[in-house]
Amino acid sequence: MQTSAAPVLQLTDIEKIYQTKTIETVALHRINLTIGRGEFVSIMGPSGCGKSTLLSLMGLLDEPTHGTVAVDGRPVQSYSDKELAGLRNLKIGFVFQSYHLINDLAVLDNVELPLLYRPGLGSKERRQRALAALDKVGLSARTNHFPSQLSGGQRQRVAIARALAGAPEIILADEPTGNLDSVMGEEIMDLLLGLNREHGTTIVMVTHDEQQALKTQRLIRLFDGSQVG
Amino acid sequence: MLKHLFTLIWNRKRANALLIVEIFLAFVVLFVVGSLLVYRWQNYRAPLGFAYEQVWEVSLDPGVQPKAERYATQQQIIQRIKSLSGVRAVTRTASNTPFTNSHSQSDVGRPGEKGFRPTSNVYYLDDAAADVLQVPLEEGRWFDRRDDGAPVAVISHDLKELLFPHETAVGKLVEADGNRRVVGVAAAYRADGDFANPKPATFLRNGVQDTVFDHLRTLLVRVQPGAGGALEKQMSADIRAIGPGWSSNITPLSESRDKQMKTVLTPLVALVITCVFLIVNVALGLFGVLWQTINQRRSEIGLRRAIGASAGGISGQIVGEILVVATFGLALGLLAAAQFPLLGVLGVRVGVYLTAMALAAGLVYLLTVVCALYPSRLAAGIQPAVALREE
Repeated sequence: MQTSAAPVLQLTDIEKIYQTKTIETVALHRINLTIGRGEFVSIMGPSGCGKSTLLSLMGLLDEPTHGTVAVDGRPVQSYSDKELAGLRNLKIGFVFQSYHLINDLAVLDNVELPLLYRPGLGSKERRQRALAALDKVGLSARTNHFPSQLSGGQRQRVAIARALAGAPEIILADEPTGNLDSVMGEEIMDLLLGLNREHGTTIVMVTHDEQQALKTQRLIRLFDGSQVG
Repeated sequence: MLKHLFTLIWNRKRANALLIVEIFLAFVVLFVVGSLLVYRWQNYRAPLGFAYEQVWEVSLDPGVQPKAERYATQQQIIQRIKSLSGVRAVTRTASNTPFTNSHSQSDVGRPGEKGFRPTSNVYYLDDAAADVLQVPLEEGRWFDRRDDGAPVAVISHDLKELLFPHETAVGKLVEADGNRRVVGVAAAYRADGDFANPKPATFLRNGVQDTVFDHLRTLLVRVQPGAGGALEKQMSADIRAIGPGWSSNITPLSESRDKQMKTVLTPLVALVITCVFLIVNVALGLFGVLWQTINQRRSEIGLRRAIGASAGGISGQIVGEILVVATFGLALGLLAAAQFPLLGVLGVRVGVYLTAMALAAGLVYLLTVVCALYPSRLAAGIQPAVALREE
């Protein structure tokens, strides 16, 4: 699958400052970043350098203190909460280090979750899409299991299936292999690479693993909130 | 989404069990108290069946006067009271006057017919009772001099429905202290007061030959509006003057009614206050549990926000969840409540139970929504970025 030049995500002059009564913490400083459609980008840097904050801004989970975030060329500052929620649901899939599965829901129900917030989608179609996503990550046989009955790798695959179920253009993964051993980490990495290659899904991945980062098309390095490479 | 909420609550049934039990108990208490309140309220709204304002009850005590002389003395007293200015009418009756909780009951049936004979309150009155109590009739007339020599009765609507359900009662015979011809049907007569259930009533005419004093020693006197202490004083003095050794106790029926209402309302108010305390406790419990739940679920809520739930959607979900929990509790409560009419636990009409069920369920839903509003707003305020930060 070819990478298109058209940027799917564009961050311009981004600053993020966390302010309390006594302390002001600059989490990100003058970040300018463009993510092309179909790209697989990794973000690296030491702990506390602002990687997750950057991912939150890309995922429209947080607002920058200064600067603009644009999705498909359209700045999202003026979007209402409801519009942003709709945009996240349609365009973006999230994969988290600690999976963030709902323990009281079966695997299939967890994967269906993003589709519940998509208007006009019937329960039958939701189920079919969730099953298809689970099939992609090789967990068709675990649909009725609960997260506590799965290994760490399987849980992360469920989380990826949940991200895939909504057929998003972008997957934002925050240290998706951080809690896994090397074998399982490789499995997940291969899965993400396959998604990028075969389906053209744009992926932005935060990682601490240099080897995994080198497998992606582009590596962005952060240090103390600034882009250094 | 509703199916999702049911699945979620069902899968968390252990965690929600206490809430469900709490809602179940709250519903049952509300239902029982509600049944009593609805029962009393419906009775209060129904007509009493007589006019009690400006009616005085005069209880006569003949003291040591020989029995044979008492009737004559009583007749003199009645004539004297009738002649007092300020008095409109006087009727002679037994001690089961309105609002006294005194009863005289008998099984009343159709002569010659065996089987069902409903129990009826029996009131001995004379012709003047029409003017004193002003009982509205839905059929026929009150007894009067036309009935001299022929035993007659007026029955209440409830008794008529039991004895003559699909026919007119006037002209028919009933067996009550002998066979008597029905001359009228009273719309209602609830001598037990505003909160009492209507019960079958039979009014028997004191015949002119009825010269026994002892069981008809009470007078009901209709006075003119504004009549007060002076008339009461005059009446007492006249009674003492006519019957040496006689004494009397004069009580306006409105006073007896107030006293009886207090007797009924006091335990009811105590019950309602206890119930309100319970409901406040349930509300605080619900509120506390929901607040704690929101704090425990920040990560999940953040995740939902991240994958597409709007703030309003989260708020709606929290309210929806507590409504589903309430529905589980209510389903159990309704099962328990359904036993009440089946077993006749409180002895009230089925409609009362149904109304109380609907009211209790509505109140529980309202309570849960009110308790969920603030926690749901807290949940809606959780930023989606929380999902990335919280474990």
